[in-house]
Amino acid sequence: MKVKTLKGVFPIIFITVIVFAAVGLVSWTDSITRDEIEDQKEQQIQSMLTEMFPSMSKYTFEDDIYIIDADGAKVGYAFLAVGKGYGGDIDILVGLNNEMTIKGVTIVSQTETPGLGSRITDSSFTGKFAGLSIDDVALKRDGGQIDAITGSTISSGAVVDTVRITAIEKIKALTERQ
Amino acid sequence: MNRFWKEFAKGIIISNPLFILALGFCPALAVSTSVDNAIGMSVGVLFVLLGSNLIVSAIRKAVPNIVRIPVFIVIIATFVTVVNLIFHAYVPALYESLGIYLPLIVVNCIILGRAEAFASKNPVTSSIADALGVSIGFFLALFIISFLRESLGTGSLSVFGVELFTLPVLGEHPMTIFILPPGAFLVMALLLALFRRIGVMKSE
Amino acid sequence: MSELISIFLSMAIINNFILAKFLGLCPFFGVSKKLGNAVSMGFAVTLVMLIASIATWFINNYILIPFGVEYMNIIMYILVIASLVQMIELFIKRTNLTLYNALGIYLPLITTNCAVLGITLINAKESYSLLESVVASLGGGIGFLFVLVIMSGIRERLEIADTPRAMRGLPVAMLVGMLLGLTFYGFGGMI
Repeated sequence: MKVKTLKGVFPIIFITVIVFAAVGLVSWTDSITRDEIEDQKEQQIQSMLTEMFPSMSKYTFEDDIYIIDADGAKVGYAFLAVGKGYGGDIDILVGLNNEMTIKGVTIVSQTETPGLGSRITDSSFTGKFAGLSIDDVALKRDGGQIDAITGSTISSGAVVDTVRITAIEKIKALTERQ
Repeated sequence: MNRFWKEFAKGIIISNPLFILALGFCPALAVSTSVDNAIGMSVGVLFVLLGSNLIVSAIRKAVPNIVRIPVFIVIIATFVTVVNLIFHAYVPALYESLGIYLPLIVVNCIILGRAEAFASKNPVTSSIADALGVSIGFFLALFIISFLRESLGTGSLSVFGVELFTLPVLGEHPMTIFILPPGAFLVMALLLALFRRIGVMKSE
Repeated sequence: MSELISIFLSMAIINNFILAKFLGLCPFFGVSKKLGNAVSMGFAVTLVMLIASIATWFINNYILIPFGVEYMNIIMYILVIASLVQMIELFIKRTNLTLYNALGIYLPLITTNCAVLGITLINAKESYSLLESVVASLGGGIGFLFVLVIMSGIRERLEIADTPRAMRGLPVAMLVGMLLGLTFYGFGGMI
């Protein structure tokens, strides 16, 4: 009688033990990788901001806007913009000068078509934004200063429009703050 | 020891997961857009396969038949989670690049297939050999596919940031189709046909 | 609303699970020439995708995230999917034995179908709301079904076509996949 019940119960005991072992192993792995993973986001932002503002010594983050500091003097701002691309969201880091012109544009992440839309990450495209005033941030066909990338009008248009619209928003917020 | 090498070699050629067994397509075709991804995915598969084959083989005599498949699934899912976390922490760029296809290793027929067909019926050393062999076979197949796709589709080839070569004409005007999803089907179709034609595989 | 429509169209057509994401390939290549079976398979997968999406959304938002154990998602999702498929299998066996026999081995194989786990992972990655998850899974499933049906029809013609020996079977089916994928690419302008 006792043996029979044990035989019936054993599979359940077995799988429970396995599940506990599994959970244990995974939790342990998580505990050793957790900090590393959390640091990454910060590190990524830091390196992107430094690339955009080489003179940066530190930055602060207030109301979704990064304020860039170079040894006590404010040199500009930066913010993240998200736009709808061809293949999904495009995450863009936009840098502003103190005069509210564009300092630079960095594509943080995108899932556009490799070889076509993904060319929005090329510096030949992102470089065109530097120095422009917000009104000029538009495709040439819309009256602006930026050429669309051949073969990926949707991706390049998405970047341009997202930068402009979000920049207008952020500039408004900044002027209101001051 | 001979047995070890026999099982190892088997995984590479005779039982090559992608070309012979035709298993595990989903992640393979998806990540074959670059050689970097191919390497990364293969490393992931290697760790998961090693871990799961080892444990499944170790407990093979004790596992009650009814819970066999759920137990295998839990074991595989565990190792996939571990690999996922480790990649996220230590190779974030690769992690982002592989995307959902890294966790999808858990439903990759190769892993469950080897656990069920081999590891559950063979001793630990053979199972380890099998895991190594199959992973290398997987890598070789994936390497060929991604080599072709990356060179023809982008005109150049770089491995972990080191640019290996740029093709003369294609460097400027690559055949983009190869890097697009349909391109994966194309390369796979042609490779399969080629292997059959030269007699490595049997035709239908 | 337009957001939901664009999610649906994206999952179903532009980023079609089989042709663009390579998820759910096994049934795609193994699909029978019989239209009825292809449709049944497609519906079964869509159903599992839908229920799994809903179930995993709750698990994600009420268990994993509150307790900070998102890393347990892979294990939990696959267990949920495996149980779901078991339950659906029993249900079909009891209510429609012919269908059960027709689907055969492909029914339990839905557990390892990349499309099902895939949609749950996508929902989590994009942090979709419950409604968005439902729409996404429906889009993905229907897109999957759509392509399966098309393939089923083409299969018939392939059988009687004069294919080179080396290309017969899987290779030529892959070429069809390529052509279908290219065709679907044209829909990109929709959103």
